[in-house]
Amino acid sequence: MSDAENKLREVAQDLLSTGRAELVLGYENGSLPMTTRPCFVRSAEDVQRLVWNEFCTNNLAVYLPGLFARPANLRGEWVPPKVAIIVKGCDARSVVGHIKENQVDRERLTVIGVPCEGMADPEKAAAGAGGNALADVCLACTNPTPEVADIMIEVKARPAAGDDRLAKIREFEAKSPAERWAYFTEEVSKCIRCYACRQACPNCYCKVCFIDQGKPRWAGAGSDISDTIFFHIGRIFHQAGRCVECDACVRACPMGIDLRMFTVKLGEDVKDLFDYVPGLSVDEPPPLCAVDRDEENLNTEL
Amino acid sequence: MGEAGEKSGSWEPKVVAFVCSWCSGLSADLAGTGGEEYPANVRVVRVPCAGRINPLFVAKALQSGADGVVIYGCHPGDCHYHTGNLSARRRMALFKRFMTYIGTEPERIQVSWISGAEGFRFAEIARKAVEDVRALGPVKGLVKETVS
Amino acid sequence: MARGSMKKADFPKLVAAASENAAFVAPVDGPSGAEFAVIGPQDDVLFDFGNTKLPVKRHFFPQSEVLYQYANDEVRSAPLPEGKTILFGVRPCDVRSLLQLDKVFLDEAYVDPYYRERRENTLVISLACKDPAEPCFCTSVGCGPAAREGSDAIVFDLGDDLLFEAVSEKGEEFIRSQAETLSEPEAELVEKAEKAAAEAEAKLPKIEVEGIAEKLPGIFDSPVWQSIADRCLSCGICTFVCPTCHCFGIHDEKADEGGQRIRVQDGCMFLGFTVEASGHNPRILSGQRMRQRIMHKFRYTVENFSEIFCVGCGRCISSCPVNIDVRETIAEVMR
Repeated sequence: MSDAENKLREVAQDLLSTGRAELVLGYENGSLPMTTRPCFVRSAEDVQRLVWNEFCTNNLAVYLPGLFARPANLRGEWVPPKVAIIVKGCDARSVVGHIKENQVDRERLTVIGVPCEGMADPEKAAAGAGGNALADVCLACTNPTPEVADIMIEVKARPAAGDDRLAKIREFEAKSPAERWAYFTEEVSKCIRCYACRQACPNCYCKVCFIDQGKPRWAGAGSDISDTIFFHIGRIFHQAGRCVECDACVRACPMGIDLRMFTVKLGEDVKDLFDYVPGLSVDEPPPLCAVDRDEENLNTEL
Repeated sequence: MGEAGEKSGSWEPKVVAFVCSWCSGLSADLAGTGGEEYPANVRVVRVPCAGRINPLFVAKALQSGADGVVIYGCHPGDCHYHTGNLSARRRMALFKRFMTYIGTEPERIQVSWISGAEGFRFAEIARKAVEDVRALGPVKGLVKETVS
Repeated sequence: MARGSMKKADFPKLVAAASENAAFVAPVDGPSGAEFAVIGPQDDVLFDFGNTKLPVKRHFFPQSEVLYQYANDEVRSAPLPEGKTILFGVRPCDVRSLLQLDKVFLDEAYVDPYYRERRENTLVISLACKDPAEPCFCTSVGCGPAAREGSDAIVFDLGDDLLFEAVSEKGEEFIRSQAETLSEPEAELVEKAEKAAAEAEAKLPKIEVEGIAEKLPGIFDSPVWQSIADRCLSCGICTFVCPTCHCFGIHDEKADEGGQRIRVQDGCMFLGFTVEASGHNPRILSGQRMRQRIMHKFRYTVENFSEIFCVGCGRCISSCPVNIDVRETIAEVMR
């Protein structure tokens, strides 16, 4: 891992000192054991803060729409910053999504790709799992190597996993509607409406989230389970055709809600119905932005 | 409310129908002028096009106490806005799969394509939807307790 | 001051006896970690846990509650919460947070009737910390692993034995009422408890906060706030897991025949917290919101209530998805 770390520092140094980037988004050591945290490096002297290890779990793409959006209170001239971002396979897919949805200025964005060996789950690592501490989401990862990268760090990635991610989904689908609703409600009842899932998600960049709209109001702000269910249905479904299953929402949730059970299913349905996987190609139109006259097969779904 | 009615045997399903303003609207009107009967359980909400339907409309209807939701749109290829119903088809196929996955009975959300001349079919679909939903019983899942 | 001891194995007997007149709420293992729940004698109570995931304020100031409902021109206030509760196993930091929240909700000018009712009907039995772990720092903000102030009684977990010590009159009454299960403790048990408390205290780090309230106004315009908050996601977790955060919003919800007004916990770290009716947002940058949060807790509450509204529980540190660490923030400010 330290090989990648040195290379990343070199690349960052180079980008900042030549002016190709004003800001490098990377990872630095956290204040708690077995954590890193996002790091905003703005000068060449600070590149030593950058690290690369098995705890670089945050999806840094979450910061991109905000950095490239014109500040609301600003008057007069504004030029978007030149940003470089360090991405793993999953993060790169988020960046592809941002490019397609016009949330970034591609000319001013430099993508530094690091083929990923998989990130550790701190709980597993703390329990002494040693080499088997990889997070569940990484064990099921299909795209460890970034699909888009202006600069690719030369390290070997973990091999892409098979279809492990669907095993739990299939098991769930075999249950009765009542059982499924019971599981869904039980998970969602843990929700404290902190909206960390939304804030951590790179795809959730709406200026005003649907749940915060008041004229008219979609669902209440209180802890009534019905309103909370509505929020989760809405937020997760807004990811249809966009969610890259990076697990940022799962990691951010303080209550440990099993969001993966639903995000993975959504991704699977998109693949099944539209033969589309989000974040692999900048040119492929997102399925819910495209139409097809001849998809008779969909009629059976309705 | 819904459940209390069921106990006393007087529960009537409430079905919200989203009807597009073109083919569906015409067929709805034709059902009316042609005397095609369909039950008053169906409450019609007119939208310009099935493509206008935000999946959250469906969720909101269910949350507000609708026991079922029916969406009527023009036949694919006949949309007044060319592609609105095609978008709706994709969107609702995905949404219905999602809602079914989390435990909503699939018959509670129905989408039908209809032409302006099919007044009898408008009523037929409405009648069937009411019976499908009646067989399922009152919606329990998403409903929010209203102030009584 | 009344004391009582019992074997930990006999705890269900105490629960059974105490549950006759009150709901017994204690820490249990929940799906998201340790949490408070109403228990019976057959339930497993946690003694070995750092702290509950969510703070005890939720017992008195819930996530959301109905204030009143209206229908057909008739307005009905929500009934006051009823029933007595014994809240067992509260860590001293969370107990201290209650004293701070009292200053907000039981202010002379306006008393929150719902909060007051719950507060008056709840007996608080705290559980001293044996093994404080990162990232706790309670001793730096005037609390401690065996701090008694604010509880009705405090319990020391001494392995096989539990030592109860009354702090308030209500606590004395409780211990006396449990004469069946609690017996006069041996002197060595009391000594053991004191030793454990001293050891626990020694484990905690000292973070310098002396003079922070005076320092803060001077750095209002400093760029340090944005650099601390650059990576902040504005997710609001910190405000929700904080025992002393108490901001709330009032929402009116309309149904067909009527509606209700509810109070909901809110957080100053949300992007839209200060959006005004015009659409203008004076705290649109994460640095501005971070500054507000720190100034509120370390300056404004000192001005208003003579206290720093932080009990050093460390929940914000362990829950923050991007590891923003209030200890580091404090250190930056003091610099």
